Amino acid sequence: MPNLRDIKQRIVSVQSTRQITRTMEMVATAKIKRAQEKIEAARPYAFAMMEVLSNVARYVQNATHPLLEEHAERSRIVVVTITSDRGMCGAFNSNILRITEDLMRGEAAAGVEADLIAVGKKAIGYLRYRGIEPIASYRDISDKPTFADARAIATSIIGRYSAGEIDAAYVIFNRFKNVAEQKAETYQLLPIEHKVVEADTEEAVGMRAEYLFEPSAAAVLEHLLPTYVETLVYRALMESAASEQGARRTAMKSATDNASEMITTLTRSYNRARQAAITTEIAEIVGGAAALEEA
Amino acid sequence: MARTLLCEIVTPEKIVYTNEVEMVIAPTLDGEVGILPLHAPLVTVLRPGELRVRYNDNKDVEWFAVSGGYLQVHEDKVIVLADAAEHASRIDVERARKAKELASERMAAMKEAPLMEREDMTECEEDLKWYEVQLQVAERRS
Repeated sequence: MPNLRDIKQRIVSVQSTRQITRTMEMVATAKIKRAQEKIEAARPYAFAMMEVLSNVARYVQNATHPLLEEHAERSRIVVVTITSDRGMCGAFNSNILRITEDLMRGEAAAGVEADLIAVGKKAIGYLRYRGIEPIASYRDISDKPTFADARAIATSIIGRYSAGEIDAAYVIFNRFKNVAEQKAETYQLLPIEHKVVEADTEEAVGMRAEYLFEPSAAAVLEHLLPTYVETLVYRALMESAASEQGARRTAMKSATDNASEMITTLTRSYNRARQAAITTEIAEIVGGAAALEEA
Repeated sequence: MARTLLCEIVTPEKIVYTNEVEMVIAPTLDGEVGILPLHAPLVTVLRPGELRVRYNDNKDVEWFAVSGGYLQVHEDKVIVLADAAEHASRIDVERARKAKELASERMAAMKEAPLMEREDMTECEEDLKWYEVQLQVAERRS
């Protein structure tokens, strides 16, 4: 028969765990909202950016720019892996790391070397454990990414791509679909896909005006493309931040639910054990009394 | 009432300013441009500098520090895409001054360093410029 005290102790310990997970759930819920607001705040810039970009692209026919050019050979790529700084968020980081490793393995099989840029302590720790040395690592930015962080990451990639050191760049991050759903995704940063500067042009708010460009359309494009890459990185960082909180909320909610269920089960066996003890005691007393009467 | 322009100053992190104004004066690579209503469609690259808007019959002026970016004019709508921008009244002078000192120290150190290690030079120069502009604009507030 299970010991009453032991069961009681387990109930208490599960209860305190539940209290922690419930608090984390609520904190995450609050943070999702903030992270979402940040994504919203970046939207006007992104829209305006796309508008300008497609306007410019219409004037620069067959735009050529180092960042648009696909390199004929592919021998080295850069992968930006965005994870969180903290755990307790379910499969959030492991999905990212798995995709990163799959990608690296695939590229390695094709004879392509992949350099990693690690964002978030989880990626840094994992890569160190696997004996992979990232070329750059960023920590403590995953919670509140700033545009300056994104710029630092983007600038190094852009520089190396223009110099011909690398032939492609990808970012792997969790896309924020909604509060309950994140999707680990690989996105190509470089070369900038031509559809970005082409496809959108027709529907571009139906603007047909003749634009003046200063200093020139080509010069504007030259400035615009790196900024575009920066905004892509910034967006990936923000989506990841929001997704992290979403994943944590889901994970903590199921942890809280599991704890509650466990408490119910434990309480039931506690009561059963208590009842059994009482029954035994009564039986003993009755038995004792019967024995006395007989005597 | 005079014809107005809708001026929007946006950065990746927030919308800094939106208002109906009568004139926008912005620092471009080739010097300042002044934009009045009915301006032809224009896209231009901005350098770090002071941006100002005038309204209320040109009586009121507001100053902004911008760190560079783009400006698009289309049908009486001016969109300023800045990497960073701040309204004159919201510039943290103390912080900007300290950051500027730090940046100029780094610049000085980098000039000493061998050419090989000057990678961050342009970045540092940009930072420095940005803080200088912020301080300059902060002076303007009345």
